[in-house]
Amino acid sequence: MNTIKRVPWLGAAVVVSLAATALMALVIAPSDASQGDAQRLMYLHVPAAWLAYLAFAVTAIASVLWLVPRTRSITWDLLAGASAEVGVLFTGLTLAMGSIWGRPIWGSWWEWDARLTTTAVLFFLYLGYLALRRAGGSPDARARRSALAALVAFVDVPIVHFSVNWFATLHQQGTVFNAKMQVEISGTMAATLVLAVIAFTLLYGYLVVRRMELLRLEEGFEERELARAIAERIAQESPEMPAGVEMETV
Amino acid sequence: MSERWAATSRLWRESVLVAGKDLRIEMRSRVAVQQILAFGAIVILLFAFALDPSRGLLPRVAPGLFWITVLLSALLAISRAFAVEAENGALDGLRMSGLDGAAVFLGKTAAIAVQLIVLEVVLAVGVFVLYDVRVVGLLALVPAALAATAGIAAAGTVYGALAGGLRQRETLIPLLVLPVVAPVMIGGTRAFEAALGGTTSQAWPWVQLLTVFAVVYVTMGVLAFGPLLEES
Amino acid sequence: MDHNWPYVAAGYGITAGAVGAYSVWLLARLRRTRRSLPDLPDLPHLP
Repeated sequence: MNTIKRVPWLGAAVVVSLAATALMALVIAPSDASQGDAQRLMYLHVPAAWLAYLAFAVTAIASVLWLVPRTRSITWDLLAGASAEVGVLFTGLTLAMGSIWGRPIWGSWWEWDARLTTTAVLFFLYLGYLALRRAGGSPDARARRSALAALVAFVDVPIVHFSVNWFATLHQQGTVFNAKMQVEISGTMAATLVLAVIAFTLLYGYLVVRRMELLRLEEGFEERELARAIAERIAQESPEMPAGVEMETV
Repeated sequence: MSERWAATSRLWRESVLVAGKDLRIEMRSRVAVQQILAFGAIVILLFAFALDPSRGLLPRVAPGLFWITVLLSALLAISRAFAVEAENGALDGLRMSGLDGAAVFLGKTAAIAVQLIVLEVVLAVGVFVLYDVRVVGLLALVPAALAATAGIAAAGTVYGALAGGLRQRETLIPLLVLPVVAPVMIGGTRAFEAALGGTTSQAWPWVQLLTVFAVVYVTMGVLAFGPLLEES
Repeated sequence: MDHNWPYVAAGYGITAGAVGAYSVWLLARLRRTRRSLPDLPDLPHLP
């Protein structure tokens, strides 16, 4: 199929950039003065967080494009769904990496850090959206329902961030528990971080493209199954109808 | 100028119509009054069992427990508000009635909000009595409660409409609504804490947050209900 | 501070594992579905 041929370079780019990132992050980049090697988890946590939010934004934009009649196309619905699924993966990773990185630094597996808490809410917003997508209905109804749900959820993110942040600063948690983020980034570390962000973004792009393809195929599969079932039903029923029967009008 | 006024008053009339219909259904069936209220009361009781009244924790966490109970009860109210339509195919009736989508949204939101306010009043009395809450000031409570309730009702109505016709709505609606109303949880609890504790000046910023949330979600609902009702 | 390496290993391991598992699932599912639908038209050209 043409879609594979269109992006073989993407898959290769993903593998190469991820490998380079691993090398830089684990071996070449220096360890932090105060955090030691735990700081290397930053190269996972920060890109994952960037993508968690980017993916949601993509879902929201794709939803808008679907809702506007002039730009409506099934491609946007597929993009919204695919981006959300890959997004929830990265959101989960953001939380996991935040927790694992935090443990040696905070001494606990979780703190109500404003950014981490907002990401936790984001995770559940994603889950709700994905559950709604799977709740069935015609492709059109599902696309419309999902698009509206995505926007309603997306609008919430800045409000959640603001309220959680405010709450955290009230309790002076901002300064203490953001300590892990106050890493002084030297030249090599900055370069590694940039490379990591690029690599993860390419990974995101690749996974989304593939996931869209799968969604498209599965939809075609369902349509064919439905058409086949209907055809069978008609074939079953027509021999039973005697010729010349007229429809009763009520 | 008069065209604008005519459109606005029509919207208002239709909203009142929808709200009136929903509230009348409720008054006839009494589900909210009997079942949802009872549910709220039981939850309040269960929290007391969970948190051991003798340790003096309850008065401190009362605002939080109050709002959690309101949220959980709201889920029931939202689910019910749309189950009623879906069951009788009334959703199609609404669509074909020619009522503006915005009016349907505003009316349903208002009906849910009214039910929630009644619930909150009763629950507040219950919490006050059972949790031995010391009340120093009450001034900021009412605006906070009104803003929070409007926000919950608006967000709930949007998701209720999106998921209400689906078979999985009973598990979908909680999953959709609860994360979205997290700011209301935070704002409502902090506002109540400040209001009850007498530090009213600290409550007002939270009331503002709650109002912003309510405005945003009422706007989203008004905008979304048109496309929503379009679906075949 | 070298005793923090277990955390680094756990973090990188979980990330690799999760991404790897998802990718494997996705690509395998794609292959299986493509095989049962040989005559479908392509995805519309993505901008």
